[in-house]
Amino acid sequence: MLKNIQEWVLLLVIVGVSGLIGNWIGYDIFPLSALPGMAVLIGICLAGFILKEIIPLNFPSIAYISIIGVVVSMPWFPGSDKVVEWTTQVQLLALTTPILAYAGIAIGRSWSDFVKLGWRTLIVASLVMIGTFLGSAVIAEIILRFQGII
Amino acid sequence: MQDGNAAMGLWKDWRLHAIVLAIVIVTELIGTFSIKIGPGVILLLPMLYALGIGIILYFTPAVKERQSINAEPIIVLGVSLLLAKIGVIIGPSLPEVIAAGPALLLQEFGHLVTILIALPVAIWLGMKREAIGMTHSIGREPNVGLIMDKYGMGSPEGRGVMAMYIFGTVFGAVFLGLLSGLLATITPLSPLSFALASGVGSGSMMAAASGSLIAAFPDLETQIVALSGASNLLSLSSGLWVSIFIALPLTEKLYGWMTRKKEGY
Repeated sequence: MLKNIQEWVLLLVIVGVSGLIGNWIGYDIFPLSALPGMAVLIGICLAGFILKEIIPLNFPSIAYISIIGVVVSMPWFPGSDKVVEWTTQVQLLALTTPILAYAGIAIGRSWSDFVKLGWRTLIVASLVMIGTFLGSAVIAEIILRFQGII
Repeated sequence: MQDGNAAMGLWKDWRLHAIVLAIVIVTELIGTFSIKIGPGVILLLPMLYALGIGIILYFTPAVKERQSINAEPIIVLGVSLLLAKIGVIIGPSLPEVIAAGPALLLQEFGHLVTILIALPVAIWLGMKREAIGMTHSIGREPNVGLIMDKYGMGSPEGRGVMAMYIFGTVFGAVFLGLLSGLLATITPLSPLSFALASGVGSGSMMAAASGSLIAAFPDLETQIVALSGASNLLSLSSGLWVSIFIALPLTEKLYGWMTRKKEGY
């Protein structure tokens, strides 16, 4: 477990550094100003991984991480104003760039499977995506309008 | 995936991390481009170039098989970081997310719409039972597990869901990223509705879809992230159950009905 934690921290720091540099180049936020926010995010991830290890439920660590993130930033939580202030300096889009870079490198291996998909598959798969996305959006629109939110 | 030990020492793969850092620097320097198509906008974001460059580099000597294998578990860690960030955006805007609760819950059923659209086309194109695996959902890991469990690895349904899975893995983020920016700018639907729709149950697809929305509607950033993040969390936790109890039986029924009708002619 200790060894695992060490591994997670190192990897999160490496991904975090890439994120901070992207945050700097793409969004003009100097790495030092975004550092506290990144440290908080890494801390939240770590807390989530540890909770998953010690709580004997079949609950994914990403669920713990999401819940911890929500809880520590709720207004009644002590220090939540600092959490929000610091993490605001880490742009969401700056985090997604390194993730998709790793994803691209990993996906390379699936490419040969991808090109073997026939044209029928490509059409149907595209429709599945469009259908899911548009279907959800239309239902959401109807209800948000009905509620008067938009 | 491999056991815990096999995933150890990934931080030592400096080649991989250096390549990723280089990709980040280059793509962020290029920045966001928007292409106008009539009233709509297609947004090209650094993350989309990053994905593309990553795939291309796999076919160059810079990336070896080892790096590609090592990159996979790191995606999960990166997505964790992203989910932590989304969590701290949701926290302060929780009252708004709760206010949108009914829309949040009911839009999950929007995923069923895809069956009505894609299944008839699949059958019309001559697909057999592969169509069931392909169109019952967007085919992420839980859905692949469900189909394999129910029909078996080598079944037509299994091949169908694998095809969908591969398509989503390679192309899903790019596809939804381009689609969401375009649809949100050409349709009269609100960006917030598309934010709710962005949570399809995959971290990278959600990031790309909501990322385009943020780039197109920067004033709504907080609400977009909060709603898409909450919706993705809901899709992750409920998606499998919707598939088991509603989507898959519905797809089966519709398939049976449509193919019977076809044979009657």
